[in-house]
This record gives sequence, structure tokens and C-alpha cells, in this order.
Amino acid sequence: MQGGVNYQELSRRYGFAPKPESASRLTQLVSRQDSDLDEIAKVINKDPVLRKRLLRVANPDAENEIEYAVETVEDALMRNGMGCVLVLAMGTPLALALTKTFQTMLSLKLEMIDPSEAECLQGDHLLGTIHFSGKVEGEVYLRMNIASARAIAAGILGMSPEELTDTNEIKDAAGELLNIMTGNFKSNLCDAGLDCRLQPPEVKLSNNFHTPSVAGGGVERMALRTGKIHLFVDVTANPWND
Amino acid sequence: MPIKILSVDDSRTIRLIVGRSLRPYDCILCEAANGEEGLVAAAREKPDIILLDVTMPVMDGVTMLTKLKSIPVIMLTAESGRDNVIHIARLGVRDYLVKPFKEEQLIDKVGRIVQLKRKEVSAPTAAPVPAV
Repeated sequence: MQGGVNYQELSRRYGFAPKPESASRLTQLVSRQDSDLDEIAKVINKDPVLRKRLLRVANPDAENEIEYAVETVEDALMRNGMGCVLVLAMGTPLALALTKTFQTMLSLKLEMIDPSEAECLQGDHLLGTIHFSGKVEGEVYLRMNIASARAIAAGILGMSPEELTDTNEIKDAAGELLNIMTGNFKSNLCDAGLDCRLQPPEVKLSNNFHTPSVAGGGVERMALRTGKIHLFVDVTANPWND
Repeated sequence: MPIKILSVDDSRTIRLIVGRSLRPYDCILCEAANGEEGLVAAAREKPDIILLDVTMPVMDGVTMLTKLKSIPVIMLTAESGRDNVIHIARLGVRDYLVKPFKEEQLIDKVGRIVQLKRKEVSAPTAAPVPAV
């Protein structure tokens, strides 16, 4: 193939689904180191879901909205800087990719819920981690209880949960789920000029996970649910690492 | 002669999905878990088409693609970033399928490159050929 080929033409040829504009716009704004906070605040204030998520990120210790010390988008941006906007920009494509994967591979409708509404993970659960590095550095964590992981793996592999006894197959399916969602969000970051590389996923059993705090960066916790399956996605990010 | 298809992906889950998608068709599926194993399998099995992941340990799919000659390749990856897609297209990839995908999409794309024939009811199931 010769030079001069463009992405729009390739997207049509390969049948790519269009990317969500709001997520791309926010990522592009964040990727500019001279971004105007007012401009970012306008984008977030127009989207009630983004606004709610930003305030949750800006009040990590609050149990509910009544306990919020940071109450406006502008305050959140001033106090937390671009790190928290970056995790918002990254969280959207992650959640969309996860939702799309469930719809496509399992025919299940996954909905985003407030993490406080989700069932807490008790005892051993599956923890998948992907580290990414480059102009933005951080981790994506995917957590779920064993029954959810088994149900997901069985659904993807076209088996019943009872038939699936191999723990490695359950871990591999969880790792691939993490791979798919992280690959999609990496594309979004790279398109905005925030080039980064992904490391292969690591999946293990855990019983004492705590989302690490990131100095100067942002942390977001998301929860998603379909039926009895509950998933937790945690994202940590530090912008402009190199 | 059945069509020979090589699936190169570090995820066993994806290789199983590819195998399940192709089960109704008269084809032989070979598997490899990274680019290095993929090159060995491609030289030995001489597949009619390769389904290739991008991010893999040992050797990634883009490196493997640069070392392949004249075998049609469909990239099967979650990464659809602009620069990545353009770079891979310039290396001569025949098609690109973004994960997550439906099995029908995979069959449709493979069927555009090689002629997939449905198995006759009495035909035995083709067993996967291990890479090593």
C-alpha cells in the first residue's frame, strides 16, 4: 500500500464503529498542556454524568454527595488539576469498551452504577491489572468476584458455568476482557497525542485490594452491573510523564 | 483441500472463539501464542490466511507482519488508534477487525479472502493443530 492513505478511508474500508465524540473531545483538551480550565469546565458542566463522576473523583473520601467538600466543577479542577480530568477522559472509553464487549460477546446489557450501590467484594476475588506508560502513565484494574468471573468466561466460551472448572481459562478470559477495554482506551489516548504503551495483563486472586493514590495524578473508581454480575474498574493516571 | 487458517493470539480465549467460529466450516485451524511461534507455524503449515493480534509477549503482531511474505493477514486487535491503523495498513494487511467482534463479522471478513465451505454433516471435526 502506498503513502497518502488516510484514517477515514481505512475506517470505512475496515468497517470501524465511530468513536464517541465527547470522550475524544475531552481527551484532546486534556492532552494540551496549555488547556484552558474554563473550556474544560464547560465541557464537563454540559454532561451531567461527567460532572457527577468528576465530583466523585474530587471527593474520594466522601461516602455520598452530602459529604462532598468540593461541590463545583470549577473547584474540582482548581484543587485537583488535570490529573482528575485525565482519568475522566480515560474512564469513558474504558466503560464504553466494557459495555460493548458484554453486548457483543455475551449479549448482556451492562449498566454503570454508583460504586456505593455495588456489592462489596468479600474474600478472594479476581484482580486483573494492566500497566500503561508513555506520555501518560498509570494502571487499569478490573475486579470481580469468582462467580462473576466464571459466568463471564463461560459466556464468552459458550459453556455453562458448571462446565468451566479450569481456573486458568477463567483468568485468561478476564485478562482478555481487560485487554479489549484497555486497547480501546489506549487508541483514544494515542489519537489525542498522548502516546502510551500497554503491558500484558496480569490476573490473580486477591483479597485485600486498595486503589493506590497517585501524587499529582487522578484516581477513578467505577462500578458496572448486569444481573448478578458486578464489576469494578479502577483507573490511576499521571499525565505528561515524559 | 480444506482451507488452512493460522490464529496468532496470546489469549487462549480468543483462539477458542476463533476455533468455535470456524467449526462449521471445512478448514484446519493452527494456533500460535505470539509472533515468534506464529512465524514458525506459518513456515511449517503454510496457511491460506493468518488472523493476527497486535499486543503479544515475545514478538508482537506488527513485527511478525513485517517478516511475513505473501500470506493474507487480518489483524484482530482492540487497538484502532489512527497512527497504528495507518502503519499496519501500509505494511500490507488485508483487513482489520476490532475486538470485541461478533463471530459473524470474523466469518464475513475471512470469507472475503478465502472461500469458506460449510462442512458436510457427516464430515469429522477438524482438530486444532498445535503450534509447537
